[in-house]
Amino acid sequence: MPLLSIAVFVPFLGAIALVLLRKPGARTAHQIGLVASGSSLLASAGVAVRGLSGASEFSQVEQIDWIPSLGSAYRVGVDGISLPLVLLTGVLFFVSLVYSLRVRDRAAAYVAFFLSLETTCLGAFVALDLVLFYVFFELTLVSMYFIIAGWGHEGAQRAALLFFLYTLLGSLPILLGIVALYLGSDPHTFDIRQMIAAPPLAGVAATLTFVAFLVGFGIKTPVFPFHTWLPAAHVEAPTAGSVVLAGVLLKLGTYGFVRFALQMTPDAFRAAAPWVAALAVVSALYGAFVALAQTDLKRMVAYTSVNHMGYVVLAIAAAAAASDQPVRALGLDGAVLQMVSHGVVTGALFLLVGALQDRAGTREMGAFGGLLRAVPLLGWAFILAAFASLGLPGLAHFPAEFQIFLGAFGVWPVASAIVVLGILVTAGLYLRAIQATFLGELGDRWRALPDLHGSDLWAVAPLLGLAVLIGIAPGVLLDVIHRTVSAVGP
Amino acid sequence: MSGQMAQMPIGPDLLRQLPALITVATAVLALVAQMVARPRWSLWITLGGLLVASAMAVPLLGADETVFAGTYRVDTLSTWAALVLLPATALVVALSEPEVRGTPREGAVYSLLAFTTVGALVLAGAGDVMFVVLGVLISSLGAFGLVAYGRDDRATEAAMKYFVFGSVSEAAMIFGLTFWFGATGSTLLGDLWRLEGARLPAAAGLLGVLVGLGYKAAIVPFHFWAPDAYDGGPVAVAAYLSVVPKVGALFGLSQVVSGLPESAANWRFIVAVLAVLSMTYGNLAALVQSNVIRLLAYSSIAQAGYFLLGVVALGRSPLALQSLVVFGAAYAAMNIGTFAIIARVGRDIHSLAGYGRASPVGGAALVICLLSLVGVPPLAGFFGKLLLFSAALDADFSWLAVVAIVNSVLSLAVYLRLLVPAYQLPADKPMPSLGAVAATSTALVVALGIAIQVLVSRVN
Repeated sequence: MPLLSIAVFVPFLGAIALVLLRKPGARTAHQIGLVASGSSLLASAGVAVRGLSGASEFSQVEQIDWIPSLGSAYRVGVDGISLPLVLLTGVLFFVSLVYSLRVRDRAAAYVAFFLSLETTCLGAFVALDLVLFYVFFELTLVSMYFIIAGWGHEGAQRAALLFFLYTLLGSLPILLGIVALYLGSDPHTFDIRQMIAAPPLAGVAATLTFVAFLVGFGIKTPVFPFHTWLPAAHVEAPTAGSVVLAGVLLKLGTYGFVRFALQMTPDAFRAAAPWVAALAVVSALYGAFVALAQTDLKRMVAYTSVNHMGYVVLAIAAAAAASDQPVRALGLDGAVLQMVSHGVVTGALFLLVGALQDRAGTREMGAFGGLLRAVPLLGWAFILAAFASLGLPGLAHFPAEFQIFLGAFGVWPVASAIVVLGILVTAGLYLRAIQATFLGELGDRWRALPDLHGSDLWAVAPLLGLAVLIGIAPGVLLDVIHRTVSAVGP
Repeated sequence: MSGQMAQMPIGPDLLRQLPALITVATAVLALVAQMVARPRWSLWITLGGLLVASAMAVPLLGADETVFAGTYRVDTLSTWAALVLLPATALVVALSEPEVRGTPREGAVYSLLAFTTVGALVLAGAGDVMFVVLGVLISSLGAFGLVAYGRDDRATEAAMKYFVFGSVSEAAMIFGLTFWFGATGSTLLGDLWRLEGARLPAAAGLLGVLVGLGYKAAIVPFHFWAPDAYDGGPVAVAAYLSVVPKVGALFGLSQVVSGLPESAANWRFIVAVLAVLSMTYGNLAALVQSNVIRLLAYSSIAQAGYFLLGVVALGRSPLALQSLVVFGAAYAAMNIGTFAIIARVGRDIHSLAGYGRASPVGGAALVICLLSLVGVPPLAGFFGKLLLFSAALDADFSWLAVVAIVNSVLSLAVYLRLLVPAYQLPADKPMPSLGAVAATSTALVVALGIAIQVLVSRVN
């Protein structure tokens, strides 16, 4: 059974069903959304159960001719880098739709956009053809644009516009890079497997292509100084949109760094690795310090993404520069695991901030205080997620960041020493947020605040569970990841 | 030359010209029907004739030869021009029907549309500079009449501007071309290789061709007539001008430059500069329009710039021809689709307010056509642009591809100006449903994208 294609396209079928039903009620729309997204998650789980076959090649490949005249085909498959991200995508979309159950405004369109977004995200992770990848990659922008513009907060129109324009500016250099790879391959093909097995470009062409990927995926990730679209988009998006944006769409950027920049233009990446590492360090510190300056909880969480993605890019750059295989594998193990951890933890944080905003009507830290007494479940959940995000041992980010710093230390000791500062800053900012929001005197206006219940609880609980699970037993994921990354590189 | 011509049987040559000949016959019959006061017949004759003419081009696929002693080419460009522009004209005829129904000269409009398309076909197959001139003249004459159709002040002014601009451009073109004739002793495009080393005549002729065809294709800096002419006549005529004569002129330009020696007047670079000017100016000017027709006029100026990426790569990259044909087909579908939606909704940008919410299907069609113009996959416009970018990179014009990319981002800002009001605001009035022309064009935009293999495999 073509489980991968089922996982990718079932959500889209759900979206089509919603369109064909012509104005279904909100209840029906949400049911269709949960069924479609749930089936997709089950199919992804099936893919994971089947597991990976070889060490370095892609498993469970499904292939159909599409544009043979151009050497392009519908090809999908997974390896140790993409499989964890597929599972992450499935989980985050499902919990986002659970959290969204209360959405009543144009619910059918809302669910349809989320389902199409799920198809395009999954498709981008499993595509083994450059054109196919680009199709999915670019289409994520369209659905996300409509989600932000249609269901976002006050400044949503402007934020959506900025997001669409900025990230299109990022994806078009990637298209040029793809074309350069295509023209460099002989015979001309868009097959990702062949690009990885024998990177077709060398010299200036490879460098320019790498720069195109760096800019494109750098905007998507985002890496300083390409991050300016991120705060607006995250803050103005509806809660579930922020979860998907931070949890899944940013991973498309870091995934691209590994799959494209590292695997298809390895020599150019190696030559430029110190520069990329410098950007990553600046990103990580900048993200942490700017997050520290925020008083809006959602904005703060958004900026910590810049910080966490900085670690990921640092690890990938270290892997590109590393001369021996174990160091490279260490960095990539950490990078891929960090992508998953960040998706789970930041997803939970956005859900919790969203829940708080829905109840209180504000996200300003200064307006709160002592909420732990009024909403203990929400409070403890936030504290747990915040501790996970700042890298407490036993929670999801710790094993990832530990390996990232270890891998980076083997290549650039000074840079990794500097970047560890970021952890101190994140620790400080989360403790400050917890103190300002949940500890201290409870204001009278918040006494009647309802605690987490129903769909909120069901959306947050699985993510927190995963955050603990990854923290305690990272080996389950690392086994899968390591199988592929231990074979990456020359 | 003339001796050769006398010996050759003319029958087979005429058979290869069937698409153009049937189109001429269609135009004449449609006019006759109008003269006997049967405008409905005129409509059906035109629609039927155009589709039959297009079908007659199918057997010519894969042919690469010249007819009439080398003066007319039956090749990839001319065959695909017939396969794309004739159905496109039929769509425009169908689109114009509600606008001109019951007016005194209804049938004349259909006839003129068919007749003007002959000019575009002649341009796309030109193998001789005389055919280039003839093609520009034929497609201009009909187009003046179409723009002036409204007979009010606005239409008259637009047609006058178009006419004066056109006459001067055509005169400049003919003047420039005399230099080529003087230097090569031949009017055949196939003899242009003799310009090797003749720098001044090569440059003068190239300038003439760029003025004449640049005017037809509305390329900066020969575009000034376009926004007024588009906005002066019926929306269907704007849709027509933005597609059929434009694509014909661009294919004609391709026929001309592909014969030029590599060194002649540095033509690749000059065409590349025109591409940059067209894309950038077109998109920037479109950003500040509040009339949708004028916005789309500037957008089609920018789109002409993308076409030039393929022209630049002719002879250097095997992808150049493919890219021109695929983008031509995609452009015809997506542009006519957009105009068809605007024809129903209204020319003012505010009239789009709430369209997407009031008419979900119409809104989706608008999104599809506009995103295809931006180049979002998997729509037809994306594959056109993918091939254009590939051709430019392959021809060592990477910088041009980068400029085209920046312009694609700019163009998204332009098209979002139409999409945002369609979804942001609730409708304050009842909205028209999606018409048949818009539905057909949109379906083509999607189908051509997903099944692009059908198109690509037949263009070689």
